[in-house]
Amino acid sequence: MEKKQVKQIVKLALNAGKVLLEHGAETYRVEETINSICGAKGLESVQSFVVPTGIFLNVTHEDEYYSLIHRTTVKRIDLEVIAKVNEFSRRFASGEMTLQEGEMELVDIEKGPVFSLRVRLLAGGMAGGFFTLSFGGGLGEFVVAFWVSVLVILLTTKASNYRISFFLKNLMGGMSNMILSLIVINLLALLSIHIEIDRVIIGSLMPLVPGVAIVNSIRDIISGDFVSGTSRLTEAILIAVALALGVGTVLQGYIIFFGGGL
Amino acid sequence: MMTSFFFAAMSTLGFGILFNIPRKQLLPASLTGAIGWLVYSGLVESFDSVVMAAFFGAWVVGMISEWLARKRKMPATVFVIPGLIPLVPGYGLYYSMLKVVEADYASATEMGAETILVALAISSAVIVASSIGRKFKRKGTR
Repeated sequence: MEKKQVKQIVKLALNAGKVLLEHGAETYRVEETINSICGAKGLESVQSFVVPTGIFLNVTHEDEYYSLIHRTTVKRIDLEVIAKVNEFSRRFASGEMTLQEGEMELVDIEKGPVFSLRVRLLAGGMAGGFFTLSFGGGLGEFVVAFWVSVLVILLTTKASNYRISFFLKNLMGGMSNMILSLIVINLLALLSIHIEIDRVIIGSLMPLVPGVAIVNSIRDIISGDFVSGTSRLTEAILIAVALALGVGTVLQGYIIFFGGGL
Repeated sequence: MMTSFFFAAMSTLGFGILFNIPRKQLLPASLTGAIGWLVYSGLVESFDSVVMAAFFGAWVVGMISEWLARKRKMPATVFVIPGLIPLVPGYGLYYSMLKVVEADYASATEMGAETILVALAISSAVIVASSIGRKFKRKGTR
């Protein structure tokens, strides 16, 4: 095999891994995909090392070393992209595709359809609102949690456009969540409608809380991917700290300025 | 019971959309989440242990997801991630950090330990389910 062709294969494998990693795939899946794409074209000595912030790839072929390092981060969880790349790597491995076709398909996958902002806001509201009901809230709590979740998701989505750090984003999420809930609940109290703030907060924080991150991190650690696991765990803990700081400071401020009684 | 099933299904559906799962898989994924939640909430009372209940809830989610994955030719993650949402201890982690912020370290450690144990239980249950799934895997599917 010519050097140029090997380079193209390695590049394609790295690209597929990059798309997977950026859309929240597990570490083992990224490594397996890279290895299977290289293996499909007859490259046997493939070493890939994937962490949530980058991909390291080295291929040895006919006494030549080909290495690529790619620095990236997880952008969002997008399970459709993961499913498509998975299907892509399977078809590629069965040899039905040339390298150029593969590159083009990867570009298409990355562009893939996403739900519109309006649908995502509705979904966030549903996620928050129905969690409130699951945790024993009533109709009033459902309505408040629904709208608070919608607004908080709108805010954090807009904030992500400005490339602020995840810590700041979640700090803002926690604060705005608490501020909005307090405003709405106090307004409703004027109309003598009593809403329990605890249940509203439980539900409306659900879309922000790092539940998937913590389970994925432990899963990585159990499967032996210690570096990925610990870095994902650190991220999960820091997200929780940011949310708690946001909620906690607003709550303290409220108690100091308006005195106790929620 | 029907109402709590419905609530869990709707919140899983919401998360399914947020995680952008393929449209055709939204319904089975939400049902998976709701079944997991029913198993969990049923077992919490009889076991009197959140960790054990979370383990079995997550195991059921994992097994259903493996089955759906083969039926619908999708990776199991598409069903596992949204399906686990009602069980996942994100709120516990947030709550223990809130207790740290409030300097209530006793509640913080208690809640924090439980969160870690629940996360361990859920992820090991998923790994057990996927190992069982792998055993019966047809060639060429993942």
